[in-house]
Order: sequence, then structure tokens, then C-alpha cells
Amino acid sequence: MEHRIIVKNLYKEFKMGRKVRRRTILFKLASYFSGKQHKEKVGVLRNISFNVKKGEILGIIGRNGCGKSTLLRTISGIYPKNGGFVKMSGKVIPLIGLNVGMQERLSMKDNIFLCCSILGLGIPDIKRRFRDIITFAELEGYEDTKVYQFSSGMKTRLAFSIAIHCNPDVLLLDEVFGVGDEDFRKRSAKKIKEIISRGGSAILVSHSLDLVKKNCKRTLWLEKGEIIAEGETKKIIKEYCKSKSNRKHS
Amino acid sequence: MNRLKSFIGLSLAIARAEFKLKNEGSYLGIIWYLLGPLLMFGLLLLIFSSRVGVGIEKYPLYLLLGLIIFNLFQKSTADAVAIIKNHGGLIKSIRFPHMALCSAATLKVLFSHIFEVLIFIAFILFFKNSLFGLLFYPFILFFFLIFIYGSSLILSSLGAYFSDIQNIWVFVSRLIWLGTPIFYAVEGQNRLLYVNLMNPMYYFITISREIIIYSKMPEIWMILAMMVSSLLFLVMGIIFFNKLKRRFAELV
Repeated sequence: MEHRIIVKNLYKEFKMGRKVRRRTILFKLASYFSGKQHKEKVGVLRNISFNVKKGEILGIIGRNGCGKSTLLRTISGIYPKNGGFVKMSGKVIPLIGLNVGMQERLSMKDNIFLCCSILGLGIPDIKRRFRDIITFAELEGYEDTKVYQFSSGMKTRLAFSIAIHCNPDVLLLDEVFGVGDEDFRKRSAKKIKEIISRGGSAILVSHSLDLVKKNCKRTLWLEKGEIIAEGETKKIIKEYCKSKSNRKHS
Repeated sequence: MNRLKSFIGLSLAIARAEFKLKNEGSYLGIIWYLLGPLLMFGLLLLIFSSRVGVGIEKYPLYLLLGLIIFNLFQKSTADAVAIIKNHGGLIKSIRFPHMALCSAATLKVLFSHIFEVLIFIAFILFFKNSLFGLLFYPFILFFFLIFIYGSSLILSSLGAYFSDIQNIWVFVSRLIWLGTPIFYAVEGQNRLLYVNLMNPMYYFITISREIIIYSKMPEIWMILAMMVSSLLFLVMGIIFFNKLKRRFAELV
């Protein structure tokens, strides 16, 4: 089967602020006046290789700070990679931290037009899908309400609805899938299945292991920027839980 | 062609949103676009009309046109210098052409420039000057916008890497404001004239005044200098931006 995402030996490094062990008086003086800090290169993703087939949802699990969001940002081209190979086919829509370009002080209507434009839709397309976006997010009647007056659930539903109505072939979902009430969760899952069934793919990053178990056949376990294990979701989650409980006891 | 069309569409959408955001919650809203330049114009006219403005023909129009043209440059570059950092959340979340942020900043200020031009037209009518020269303004504005866009690309990409650029630009743009003949004339002051020959703003303002206020054809070398400088800034801006944009998401 054809692959939507191919990642080979991906390497990513960041320049990060680090404590300097031996600080001279001149260094201390300079850092007091200047806002700049000493930075060192740190490899945050090392030797990452995986594929996602058309019609597949890949789960990614791991502890906070293990590089899940950085991985999504690097493969989607938001961050430049420092080594390796990434190939994505089709329209990629990352939903990372729910920011699809929403402006809190603008009305929902203005936000839909703005976000859809950023996600690559033209005005006629946006007008055609406008009602569907609102209906899916269950926000009828709030067209002229400013988004800062929305609850976080309403904002999440809106962002999710905008993203899935912008023709994605690849959805990168970082802790945003499975939001809202039971009914919205069911409808979101159905919509994602629709995208997958017409040849799309998704990567689902979540701390909710149940959610990953429910939606992904294959899962990748990331730890300190490296892949610890990859395979059938049930097996990987079992290993992950075991390592977590071992860590607690030690 | 399709990519250019979607780039323009995106720039317009961001500009429209930014324009709405700028007026959001303000009681006077877009009236500020009329009030702001008018207050500045009134103040400068009061101070300079009987001093440096004495030998200048049609001084109120001379001053107002200089002010509104410089305003367009100053406002859009002031926006551009912090634009990457101000849109950090968006840049970190979605891959999109970041240049659209700069073109949106230029377009947003262009909206307010239209209001300023309307004030200027009212003044032309008040002073019974000819409106004919205004027909050529779109031609000058086209090259002026190219120049502003190029400058914005340079400033925005530098601003993403060095926060100090924001403070430096506040000072430099004030320096350019004082060095450009906005409220005074440069004729007869050789040293200032030579400095201004290297200042693209001098060409845009002088050519606009010659055509619109004095109904005169500017010298060809000045028009060429205007066109060359704007294209040069655009090319430099695109090269700068493309070189530096790679790491924007990591810096914001």
C-alpha cells in the first residue's frame, strides 16, 4: 500500500539555554546587562524513522517533553530538520495546540474566514463550507460573537471543525482529538474515519491511552527524542504502562 | 499563477483581520485615520508655516502630502519589524507562506492611507488646486508599495533574529523622518541634498509633490531612481527573507 508519510533517520536539534559551569566576571556582567543567554545545541529528535500508509492512523505516545510536538512540527515543515528525510503527500493540516490562526478579539465569522484562508481555502470555498463548519462545531447563533467570549470547549470544537473542513489528506493531531462532550467526540471520530476511508492519514498524539487504543492500530513510543518501540497499539501501550509503573516504584 | 492568487487571497484575509483588530474596542475606530494625521498636520503647520515654510509655495499641501506619504512608510515598517514575533503562535502551528504577514501589514496600512488621501483631496479642493496630478498617484504608489514591502521583508526577518532591531528602528525611522524634506525644503542646502539622494523616501515624496501639487513633470532620472530603488529593495527583501525564514518557528 502507498505511503502518505515517510520519515527516515530524522534528526532535529535546538539551540537551548543551558547553565554555564565556569562563569567569568566579565560573562556575569555581560549577562546582567544583556537579555541574551548562553545556548548550546541539543539533539531533540534522533534517528526517527517510520511510515504511515494511506488510510492509517498512527498513534504517538510518550511522556511530556519527549519530543512529540517537535516531531509533528518537523515533519510538517514548520521546523526545519537538521538531518534525515521526510516525505509527505497531499494536503497536511497540523492541529497543534489548537492554534489554527484564531484571533480571540475577532468574531467567529471573521475567524472562520481567516483560519480557512491560512489553511489554503479560497473565499468561494469558505462561503460554501461556512454553514457546515458552524453546524459541526454546534455553534449556530454565535457567528458575530467574539472568540474570547467562548469557553475553551467551544474554541476547541471550532478549531477542530475548521481543520477537518479544509480538505486534509494528512491530519496531525496533537492532544486535540477527543475533546468536547460524548456526542462531539463520536462525530469527530466519524469525520476522521471518513477522511481516512478516502485515502487520508492521521497521526494522533495523546496522553489518553484509551483514545490511542480506540483509534490506532499501530503506535509509536517516543522517549527523550528517540523511538523506544513501534508496533501493534495494545502491545506498545502495555510496555509503556509497565515502564511507567517500574519508574514509579524505583 | 494559482499560487500567486492564493498568496494574494491569504494576504488580503490577514490584512482584513488585522484592520478589524486594530479598530476593535476603539470608540473612534477608523475616525483616528482622519484625526491622527490631521492633528500632526495642524501642529506642524502651526510651528513651521511662518519659519521654514515661508519660501515654499502652497506650504499646507506640501506639508500634508509629505506627511501622509511618510506615514505609510513609517506605520508599515513599524508593524513589520515585530510581525514575526507577534504571530509566533501561528507560525509555530501551521506551515504557510510567512511573506503573507508582511504583505498583509503593507495592505493594512494602505487601507488607512486611502483615508489620508481623502483628507488630502479635501485640502486640494479647499485650496482650489488642480486634481489632475492625482491621476498619476497610483503609478507612484505602486512603486512605493514595492519599496515598503521590500523594506518590511528585510526588517521583519531581522526583527525575528534580533530583538534590538525594534529599538534601533524606532530611532532610525525618526532619523529618516527628520532627514527627509517633509516640513522643509532641501533646495539650497547642498549637504542635505546629497544625503537625500541616497534616501528613497526623498524621491517618492518629491515626485508626488511635483506632479500632484505643482503639476510639473519630474526629471526622468528621479523617476528612474524611484523605480530602481523600489525594485532593489524588493529583491533584497526577498533574498533576505528567504535566507532567514527557515528558523522563524524556532525563534518565536
